[in-house]
Amino acid sequence: MISGILLFVLAAGFPYYIFLEKNKRIGSKTIFLVSGFLLLCAIVLSFFIANEHPTSLVVISFLSALYTIYKATKTTNFYKLGYYFIFINAPFFMLFEDKGAFYSLSLLVSLVGIYFIGRFYEKNYGSANYLAVRGVTLATPYLSIYITVYLLCIALYPPFPNSLFFLNYLFSSESFGLWSIVVITLFAGNFFLAMRVMEKSLFGKPNTHIHYVDLTFKEKLLHLSVVIVLLGLSIYGLKELLL
Amino acid sequence: MEKIILLIPGIPIVIAFLLIFVNKKELIPKISLILSSMIALLGLYGAYYVISNDTQIIGFGGLLIYNQLSAVLVPYVAILGLVIRKYATKYMWDEAGYKRFFILLNFIFASIYLLVMSNNLIVLALAWQLMSIGLYLLVSFNVGSKTAVKNARWTMYIHKGADLVFLLAVILTYKTFQSLDLATLSEKWLLMSKTSLDDSMIFVIGLLFLIAAMMKSAIVPFHIWLPYTSEAPTPVSGLMHAGVVNVGGILLNKLAYLLMLTPGVLHIAFGIGLFTAIFASALMLVVSDIKRSLGYSTVGQMGYMIMEIGLGAFSLAVYHLIVHGIFKATLFLESGALIKYARHDPNIPERLSYKVFWEDKTGNKSNRLFYLIALFTILPVLAFIGVKMVLSEEFFEFNAAIVILAFAWLTGTQLFLSFFKVSKSDSIKVILALVSTFVLILFTYEFIGLTLEHFLYGEDALLFYKAATLNVTMASSMVMLAVIMTIGWLFMYKQHFVEIPNADIKPNKMKWLFYKLLAKEGFYFEIFKRSKKGRL
Repeated sequence: MISGILLFVLAAGFPYYIFLEKNKRIGSKTIFLVSGFLLLCAIVLSFFIANEHPTSLVVISFLSALYTIYKATKTTNFYKLGYYFIFINAPFFMLFEDKGAFYSLSLLVSLVGIYFIGRFYEKNYGSANYLAVRGVTLATPYLSIYITVYLLCIALYPPFPNSLFFLNYLFSSESFGLWSIVVITLFAGNFFLAMRVMEKSLFGKPNTHIHYVDLTFKEKLLHLSVVIVLLGLSIYGLKELLL
Repeated sequence: MEKIILLIPGIPIVIAFLLIFVNKKELIPKISLILSSMIALLGLYGAYYVISNDTQIIGFGGLLIYNQLSAVLVPYVAILGLVIRKYATKYMWDEAGYKRFFILLNFIFASIYLLVMSNNLIVLALAWQLMSIGLYLLVSFNVGSKTAVKNARWTMYIHKGADLVFLLAVILTYKTFQSLDLATLSEKWLLMSKTSLDDSMIFVIGLLFLIAAMMKSAIVPFHIWLPYTSEAPTPVSGLMHAGVVNVGGILLNKLAYLLMLTPGVLHIAFGIGLFTAIFASALMLVVSDIKRSLGYSTVGQMGYMIMEIGLGAFSLAVYHLIVHGIFKATLFLESGALIKYARHDPNIPERLSYKVFWEDKTGNKSNRLFYLIALFTILPVLAFIGVKMVLSEEFFEFNAAIVILAFAWLTGTQLFLSFFKVSKSDSIKVILALVSTFVLILFTYEFIGLTLEHFLYGEDALLFYKAATLNVTMASSMVMLAVIMTIGWLFMYKQHFVEIPNADIKPNKMKWLFYKLLAKEGFYFEIFKRSKKGRL
């Protein structure tokens, strides 16, 4: 039970809303980094402590995830979006038990990519807000490729690892009422949010008042390494799923 | 050696990967075309191997298979892919994102090949979802257009729904039958069909697979994505109408042995398919936008396809999807040349058909309608019955006969009236031409349909018909068919046989309401908009 609560504190959204978001001095980038680090701790801990949670904790984290989906529809900031995705997927981490660690690891890796994207926006456009910098697909094609990959990963599309671990869990678990509600809601929630961001950042006509900048060679390498890690996880996920 | 054929789904991925590094624009289509020709050659070799050895090629630990269905579909998709790529080479030249287009095109072809060649439900699920994302990125290719992006979003919502339903069906299948291997499952299902069983879980699984197929194949009420996605580049429209919408039919063919266990699902498929075919074909005639009209035409054809599956005519659905695909791709890809031609010469070209059926009017007002209907309905039916009696007597035990007749009649009439403008006053020539078209279509359909049926399912095809039978006697089937054909013929006669219009004739209220219902596309969007505003 204690380990369950510990993992819940580390992976679900409520503590962050209570302690971090209320504090005006802490920026969204810091919250993203803190919540990402705490999720990593939870993943590491789950390899040592049995990742089993009482239903009540799953319900609480699910309610938190629903509230987060609502909050995520109000933001256009990559950093905020990043930690919202952590909170939204927290019920999966708990529900998936042993397989939750790998699912969350894949999520974390794709969020690392989102973090780099946010940092790129902050460096080149002054903030991690993507709404004003529309039409990235036409103006900066390399950047758009990586945003597409990360968002598809989060939207649970194969061949990316999130989708494969998700599927793997579906096949190995026993379905029940709460399971169905959580799985279907969050499957749709991740998808809707990722598509929303895609539409608002990648699509549209480029803004003529903005000087668009594409990724530098170094940045391309950085993102490529994130994608390679994702592919590595995909291969592992595919092996787990098919064999 | 023959296992090399199983690499087909990987080749478009390799092409897409290579294209990322190609900076010279001229090289992009060349690489794409040369390497995709390899797929076509491999596909044809695979088909030759399967036919000549009467065997299947299984590899990658049983995950992929090149069987009879693949032998028919892979060469078709590969050749379609070649044509679309060749067409896009010049068509897309001035568009922003030339390289992106070819990469995405190869990506979606890879998912189609994977879907056709999968022998495992997980691989099928992966391909199913990959196709959704590929389609989304292609439909929203014109990223600067708000409407293109909006319509792509709707497409994506419906396809994601299809993905979810499909995944649920796959999970339930695994939990019920303890296997994901399609070949094993098909054997199990065939064995189960020999013992009578009434399992509600099998019904649920079958229904979920049917809903997933309906969503991807734009069957009513999930049809809205197809007529509104014509803003995509023409090659994408060609691919969508000739390839992507067919995946529902392909999926149901792969699961034919499962559906055989659930006659209830087959009957639902028949009902919904029939409704879609009639509803969408009526909308096609009424909507004012030519692209939407083509979209509804495809929806109608998909309805026929699902209806055929509902009657157990699985192989006919495959034949139908191929023929319709070729026809629709031709229409889309030819549209540019036609517009160019019309700009130079807006007049109707005076072909032989024009002189025979229109210009050479006799001016007689003879009213031989009754005899003509009789000639048009009874003669072909008698010809068909005679031929079928000689070829396969037992066929009349199953209701598929009615579909074949109706389909041949409709295709023949539609085909004829699509190409020729005809005059009411010269009916006899037109009727004779229609009858000839009907008989020609019927025999082609029958010949190829039976050959395909024998090739794909052998003796098992009869089991599908048995499972899908609606227990309607042959006599009542024939009466129904005659009624349908007569009503249809009258409708066609009134709609297509051109007469000098009389401005004084106004439609009555009922007719006007009916027209309004169709012109407003069944008030589908009105209801949606109102419900969104909370007024419903």
